[in-house]
Amino acid sequence: MTRKIKRKQFIKKAAALTAGSVVLPYILPSGRLFATTPDPKSEYVVYVLFAGGVRQQEAVLQGYLHTSQDNFDSSFAGNIMPNLLKGDLPTKKIAFGTTSPGGTIGDTPIPKILNTPLEEQGVLFKEVRAVNPGHYGGLNSLLTGNSSVAQGLKVRPNFPTIFEYARKHLGLKATETWFIGNTITNSYNLLNGSEHPDYGLAYGANFFAPTITFGSQGQEVLSNAKVYHPQDELAPMYKMKNFLDNAFRVKQGQIASIKNTDEEKNQIKEFVRNTFQKKAAGQIAFPPVSDNGDMVTLAYAAEVLKEFKPKILVVNMTAVDVCHGNFSSYLRALHRADHGVGWLWNYIQTQIPEMAGKTTIMLSPECGRNTNPNPIQDENDWFSYDHSDRNTSRVFTLMAGAAMGSTRGTFSDTWDFSNPGAFTTDNVLTIADIMGIKNKIPPGFMYPGARSLFDRI
Amino acid sequence: MNMQISNRIKVGLLMVCAVGIFACTKERRVRYEVVNQQANDIVIDKNKAKTDRQYISILYANLFQEALPINQQVATQNVIQSVGDRALVYEIILSNYMNKSGVILPPVSEMKDNPEQFIIDTYKRFYLRIPSELEKSFFVNFFANNPNVTPELVYTAFAASDEYIFY
Repeated sequence: MTRKIKRKQFIKKAAALTAGSVVLPYILPSGRLFATTPDPKSEYVVYVLFAGGVRQQEAVLQGYLHTSQDNFDSSFAGNIMPNLLKGDLPTKKIAFGTTSPGGTIGDTPIPKILNTPLEEQGVLFKEVRAVNPGHYGGLNSLLTGNSSVAQGLKVRPNFPTIFEYARKHLGLKATETWFIGNTITNSYNLLNGSEHPDYGLAYGANFFAPTITFGSQGQEVLSNAKVYHPQDELAPMYKMKNFLDNAFRVKQGQIASIKNTDEEKNQIKEFVRNTFQKKAAGQIAFPPVSDNGDMVTLAYAAEVLKEFKPKILVVNMTAVDVCHGNFSSYLRALHRADHGVGWLWNYIQTQIPEMAGKTTIMLSPECGRNTNPNPIQDENDWFSYDHSDRNTSRVFTLMAGAAMGSTRGTFSDTWDFSNPGAFTTDNVLTIADIMGIKNKIPPGFMYPGARSLFDRI
Repeated sequence: MNMQISNRIKVGLLMVCAVGIFACTKERRVRYEVVNQQANDIVIDKNKAKTDRQYISILYANLFQEALPINQQVATQNVIQSVGDRALVYEIILSNYMNKSGVILPPVSEMKDNPEQFIIDTYKRFYLRIPSELEKSFFVNFFANNPNVTPELVYTAFAASDEYIFY
């Protein structure tokens, strides 16, 4: 009997002690029971995937024709990205701007939009190692923080994207994360969510490819949608649909798509309808020079920002990839990419009061370009560049805005392939750090050596 | 001689008997009948998702009773891929179809006059099956409680539903 009571008491005490040892460490000085995520460094993040393979020599190294083509001395160098970087424009052989009446192609640089380049509003990681020399692999690494050597084309990322980390660990709605792509080719439309079993499309971002969604095909297919009354018509329709869906019960993963709530769907439908109306009325705001797909993509990204004010918006540009076959066009596309990003940043600060002063912008090319050109010459007899050698690993990362506080400067300014000052895969951890969820990223999910850029400053 | 004649008569008689026995069997009349079989059962056994092309082609044929032109099919497929939420873009495409001339919908009176038959027909048209009693009674009650519901909204709900995406 005594032995029985002792055993009972022992079990009771052991249970109490176990429960206490689990709970006690989490009673914080603030009185909270469990630790919360750290405060975010800024409320919103705009992440630019810049912009289809950018050769370091024409970007941060500001070499222009001097470092890209034979027979051009250092007087032909200069900065063709004046909204992003400090440095004077080239003065000779200008071919990257717009064309003046009667002038040569691209002879007039596009006027600067930002008085202070982004580099001076934040930090520049001058020499960063891209972990994948291809577009899809490079973009995957920018969005997942992992090089994922087993990643195939035409399949979703193997590892979770920043959208999934943010939605799962911050409880964000689908409309609070957006990926704006400039095309649906090259599997870019699959980058809004991974196939990872712990994350996946249930936490994926909304996606538009505006040149299609709001282009001529979208106009034909989507612009004539019937306007249903939200309460009298849509509400009963969704009630019937939900009844039908409950009866059928699709298993998770059977439908490869993200999912918005009925309210979010209504908001997006309204947005689509209004956007077509604005387009017809000529009321979409575009960058002053909008003569390529990247600029159109940025304009619609701005529309999405204004309507949804997402916590994370990622926008992809690819026009500079024309560099495979036309170096002059590449220079023009790079100058426009700079113009477009400057315009977007200015738009956020001046047209979206809810996001002004609360947004961080971050950008990196997914890969660089070769040291030596290929044999293809353009109208100026300039040679083109592919991306396959070690120089392809040389890119940069720029970060500016709210999360930077008073931090300024240039970091990682020497190139060392074996011991780089930063990786492109750092960006996901950095955004997670900005959003206050860095400690939620499971171990082993990031590229080895990846760190938040805040830990490298 | 007489013996020979008598044998011939016997053989002849035997042959006549044999013909009588074997050739005049009474014909047996056999009737084969068809057992009634439910062609549209209520078992939901659909586990393959339609491709975008299958979905829009089937939907278009269902609503317009004609094939989707190939150029429209390509444009529609591209647009579907340009939007992240597949169900959402299907709904927008559907409401565009509903706004087009030529869409074939039953009149409201057909739904009001015989809601039970209307819902059976709708299940057959979209799901290729008959509804269960529960499904039937849900819709009959739903129509009674929501007099503003039209065949167009019912068709939209069915065409946008998960079951219609599978086969």
